[in-house]
Amino acid sequence: MLISEDLTCQELVELVTEYLEGTLRPKDRDRFEQHVVLCDGCAYYLDQMRTMIALTDSLTEESITPEARESLLHVFREWKGG
Amino acid sequence: MVRAYKCLRPGRIGPFSGYRWPVGVWVEGGGNAALCLRGIHACRTEDLPYWLTQELWEIELDDDVRREHRKLVANRGRIERRIEAWTRASAAGFAEGCAARTEQRAMQARGEQAGRLAELAADAAANAAKGEAALLGFIAARAAELDSGTEGYADERRAQANWLASELGLEAA
Repeated sequence: MLISEDLTCQELVELVTEYLEGTLRPKDRDRFEQHVVLCDGCAYYLDQMRTMIALTDSLTEESITPEARESLLHVFREWKGG
Repeated sequence: MVRAYKCLRPGRIGPFSGYRWPVGVWVEGGGNAALCLRGIHACRTEDLPYWLTQELWEIELDDDVRREHRKLVANRGRIERRIEAWTRASAAGFAEGCAARTEQRAMQARGEQAGRLAELAADAAANAAKGEAALLGFIAARAAELDSGTEGYADERRAQANWLASELGLEAA
């Protein structure tokens, strides 16, 4: 990776959704993956994101308890209101 | 059919996909959501220094094999044989070579780059003993770039690939 191709950890975090959706440009995808090879923290973060997506994919509305559902709705209302 | 190399984490895990590769089984690039959306990725010997991980495997690529920046991409691939010569010891040997060249550049440096090269040499020395091959390859290439520009960078990466080819018995870079 040349100096001009450097990617910071913060930039990687900002790009991770596009990376996982396969919408990064080839050049940016390359920079992203080069960073992951060199940075254990970002490799771990990418693993966490993949695991989270896999787990949430298997969730249905019925699989959430009424308490958890209410708690989530509360957070969303606060978030939107704030 | 093209023969190439695949860098994997311990247990044949893809470093970006998290996919556990089966041995001797054709894997389709677009057919598995866990894999890269754009196909199966692998390396030529000259690409290896950029992607080194703990395990190195020989892979066969098939169906629309194409070259991209620092990698090969195909629609399907099959890992065949682990490169047994790529071990913690050989990774440490690679890392030590990179650290030694970085140190040499730092010692010979004059002018405004001397301080930065000294920092890189210190980073290299601190990490070489851990056998962090990809990181040391990066540091040595970065030092070469500071010292001699993009041509120096390319020369250093070529030297790394040649070392791997020679030490591991791979096809020449």
